[in-house]
Formats: sequence, C-alpha cells, structure tokens
Amino acid sequence: MKNYLRAISGLGLALAFGMSAQAQTAAPAAAPAAAPPPAWKQGMPESMAKSTLAPLPGKLVATKAADVPIDKIKLPPGFKVEVWADSIPGGRAITEGENGKYYVGTRALGRIYEITDNGKERTSRVLVDKLQQPTAAYKDGSLYVVAIDKVLRFDGIAKNPNPTPVDITANFKFPPLPHHNWKYVAFGPDGKLYVPFGAPCNICVEPTTEYSQIRRYNPDGTGMEVLATGVRNSVGFDWHPVTKELWFSNHGRDWMGDDTPNDTMHRLKLKANYGFPYCHEGKIPDPDVKKANACAGVEPPVALMGPHAATMGVKFYSGDMFPAEYKNVLFNARKGSWNRTKKIGYDVVMVRADADGKNAKVEPFMTGFLNEADQSWWGRPAYLHQMKDGSLLVSDEQNGVIYRVTYKK
Amino acid sequence: MSLLSAVRVVVLVGAVFAAAPTAYAQISAQRLALCAACHGADGNSQIKGIPSLAAQPKLFLETQLVLIREGVRDIPSMKGMLNGVSDAEVTALAKYYADKPLAPVPTDRDAEVFARGGKLAEGMRCGICHLPTYLGREQIPRLAGQREDYLLLSMQQFKNNQAIGRDSNMAASVYGVSDQDLQDISYYLARLTPATTATGQ
Repeated sequence: MKNYLRAISGLGLALAFGMSAQAQTAAPAAAPAAAPPPAWKQGMPESMAKSTLAPLPGKLVATKAADVPIDKIKLPPGFKVEVWADSIPGGRAITEGENGKYYVGTRALGRIYEITDNGKERTSRVLVDKLQQPTAAYKDGSLYVVAIDKVLRFDGIAKNPNPTPVDITANFKFPPLPHHNWKYVAFGPDGKLYVPFGAPCNICVEPTTEYSQIRRYNPDGTGMEVLATGVRNSVGFDWHPVTKELWFSNHGRDWMGDDTPNDTMHRLKLKANYGFPYCHEGKIPDPDVKKANACAGVEPPVALMGPHAATMGVKFYSGDMFPAEYKNVLFNARKGSWNRTKKIGYDVVMVRADADGKNAKVEPFMTGFLNEADQSWWGRPAYLHQMKDGSLLVSDEQNGVIYRVTYKK
Repeated sequence: MSLLSAVRVVVLVGAVFAAAPTAYAQISAQRLALCAACHGADGNSQIKGIPSLAAQPKLFLETQLVLIREGVRDIPSMKGMLNGVSDAEVTALAKYYADKPLAPVPTDRDAEVFARGGKLAEGMRCGICHLPTYLGREQIPRLAGQREDYLLLSMQQFKNNQAIGRDSNMAASVYGVSDQDLQDISYYLARLTPATTATGQ
C-alpha cells in the first residue's frame, strides 16, 4: 500500500490539492510528507475545492417490504413490480443456484445472503460473513464467493447447506488495492470465470499493470487471460444472446464537471484498449493524465450511459414473458450519481442496439426512485437477474430489497 | 478509568436508565448502561480515547454500530458487545445518541495552535465531506466538538492503516501527514462549536 501511494503521490498531489494549497498547509518546520488524496478524490481541480459533493450514504440495516414506497416506481404499460425479497441490507449482484436458491453479495457489510424461494415467498439467511466486499457466481453445483482478497468455493451447496469452503484464493493472484475492486463476476458461455479489476483511483496511472482490466480464468483460478485493458471500473456485464459477445458497463471518471465524461457501455473485443487513464468515451483526452494521441487505437463505446450515472448491472433479455420487442434488449441498472450537481440515474434503462453495437438508443424502463424537482431519492437499482419464467429481478442496494418485474397483457 | 470502575458505572447508570424513554423503546436498559459506561450517560465521553456519540449524525452512528456488530470494524474493547443486537435496536440507539446535545467544548484556547489547525483542516479539504462547519452529515461523522484525544487517535489509525473496516474513502486522506499536524487539527476541531464556525450548515 505504502509503495503504491508513494508512486502516485506526486501525481495525486499535483492533481488534487494543487501546489498552492500544499504550500499553504505545509508547516514551517516539519512539512508533512507527500499526502495523496483519497482515491476517489484524485483529479479534483482547484475550481472544485469548495464542492461538497461526496459519495452518498448507504444503509446497513434491514428494510421491510412494507416500508418500501413501491407505488412510486414507474414502468411501461403492462409491467408490474413487487418486492420479491426484503431485509437483505446492502444486497447487490444476484446469482441463481439450484432448487430456488439465490445468492446475493454486499460491499461494506461483508455478507453473502442465501435467499430461498418456495414459489410463494422468500426466506433468507447469511451464508457467510466478515468478508471484504464479497460477491458470488454459481457453476456445476458449486458456489464461488469472490471477495477483494479471497476466493472461496462451496461445493455441493444444493445438497449440503453448510459445506466447508475450499479456499482457492492463491490461484487467482488478485491485486491488493481495495478501491474500485469490488468485482462483478460471472461464468461465461465458455465456462470461464470473468473478473474485472477496477483502477484503484479516480484518475491515475495505475501503480502496476494489474488494474483496469477484464480477465477470465478457469474455474479453479488457473489459465488467467487478460481480455481487455484501459477499463476504469466495470461492475456489470453479460453475453449477447445471439453473438455471444461480452458487453460491459464502465464508470467514467469524476471531478471533470457535471457532463463529462459519460459512463459507457462496451462490446468486448479481445485484447482491445478502452482508454483509461488517457482517454474517455474513446474520444476525450484526459485533462490531468496526458499523452500524445491519447485516443489513438482506443475502442469506442456502444452507448453513452450518462455522466456519473453509475452504470451497474447488465442483462440482455432473452425470456418469453416480456413483449417481443424486448427480446435481446440490454437492461442496465444505473445506481445514480453523486459527483454531479443535478442527479441522474437511479433507474433501469434499456439499450436497444444492432447486434454489432451500432445504432444504440438508451431509453428509460424502471424509474421513480429520484425526484427531479427536489433532488431527493429513495432507492438505488444496482443489479439484474432474469428468472426462469422470464421475469426480471432488480436489486435495490440502498434498501436491501429485490424487486420482481413481471409483464401481463 | 479502569475496567472495574467502568463496570461499577454500568450498574449505577443501569439504575438511572431503567425506564428508557418510549421513543427508544427498542433499546434495552442494560445496553444503554453498557454504552454509557464508556461513552457517557449523555453520550459525552469523559474517558480518554473514547469518542463522544452525542450529536453525531444518526446514519453515521447506525452504520458504525452495524459494522462493529458484524466484526467488520474491529474495536477490541467492544468485541462481542453488540452480538445479537437487532437492526431495530441499532437504529434506536443511533437516534438516541444523535438526539443528545453535545457538551460544551473546552474553553482553553491557544490562538496560534487553533489558527494553525484550522488552516491545516481547510487545506486538507476536510470540509468537502464533513462540511465546512465540520458538523458531518449522514454517514460522515461530526468532527466539531469531538474529544481531542479521540480525533487524534482516529486520524492516526487511518494514517497507520489500522482503521480496518472503516471508510476506505477516508483512508488515504491523512497518509503522510505529520503527527504534529494531526495534533493541531485535533486541537482545532475539538474546540469548534456551531457558533464558532464561520459558515452555517
């Protein structure tokens, strides 16, 4: 940690505090050693020194379904929403196991929940806790729990509810820095485990080359391949139902103003560079971390998802419950902005695009969590999961509940 | 205060708080007495290195209580104390202390140290998150009027990577800052009240 901080401290200071502010704070006798700003604040210009924008508060205690103002949620005609599971504080990405079991991870709270659906109602328990920002994926009867510094495999969990986990951490060789390193993980059509690694800062040249990547591994952690570089912070992806290509969401940097740059949606092209830290949206050179021809050879996005909108979970709809025009539509949960004077996101949007990514259009799907008029908000959609019957699960990380969206003519 | 005398206080305060106000009905009297033993009956700590809870943002208290209960935030002296405490009781406890008024801040003031601390805090942009008044908000703690020794201890923990399970956004804020500077910042913040801060909330 210390070495990394030293490596970036010069840059971080110049970017975030500016030399004049640093001179002002330096004691005459004992000047403090170079102190980098926190990772999310790097790149903040002097002009924003008086800003009070800060990451928004989460909620770590349980919310009951009855206390969710579900009537405020708006959907297109014919769609309905219910609270499908409640009292899972901080619940985030959803993965489906067997026999009506679903697994949901958290960040700060360190828990993996197991939700059991008997078809009528849901019960939940904490399967494992005290982990560093754990998430989960499921394959061939095994649950893979992936934390920032740990990978645990729970074999045969469908039959044995409390298997002793196998620690397979060492194989994965995860980089250590926690910032932007909560991971969305999923098994691809090729049976490999896909794992993104965010940049450990708002904007910086990474301390080592292990960050800002998307990788895939064999399920046991061997056979690692780097699939993409220059990806600042991808926390959601899915495979196109027709082309089987991976499409992924990516968070743009902060402290570059309300409208720049956008969060983005991308197609994965093998070994492509997506621009971080030098280039955003495939066309905007970074004002702080510069190089000549910053955007040369950078893979452009399929769609712009809104500046600071926090584009999260991605799910291509392949079910039969929703009307035909929803087939192969990409649903994307946007958790909502903090680094913007006027809030955006706090919704689920649809991206309609050609299979090759052309002609993308972003349209609202699930809204009502944000009150534009007074800028208040009450929920933050984060992740999506398509159930076997074609209904769509949407996790609300703020309230620790999961909604189920259904359609009936 | 020794542990033994802290236990005696538990017993005493337990008697005082036997009837918890109805607004905080979820809080057990024993729990409140246990909190009071170290953090003060009115949430204003009289013990070195123990933070005051009075007038902290409710969400900050609630979040920290959960993280401590879960063992994510490791405080050796509180280990196990919150085992089995329900979310509803955590929320009630947070509200209880958030509603308590802060005791008067120390009146001794070395103008030079105070000014230097204020300038340091401003230069380090503590006010972006903790607000220019340093009153905190939501998940972000109030710094104004907190115990000086606790402010210093807390910042030293962040600086030395000992703030396990606490906000990683805060973690890097004090890396490399000298102990003298942290002392001066603590001196300044501990003597701040809303009336003496320049800007309102």
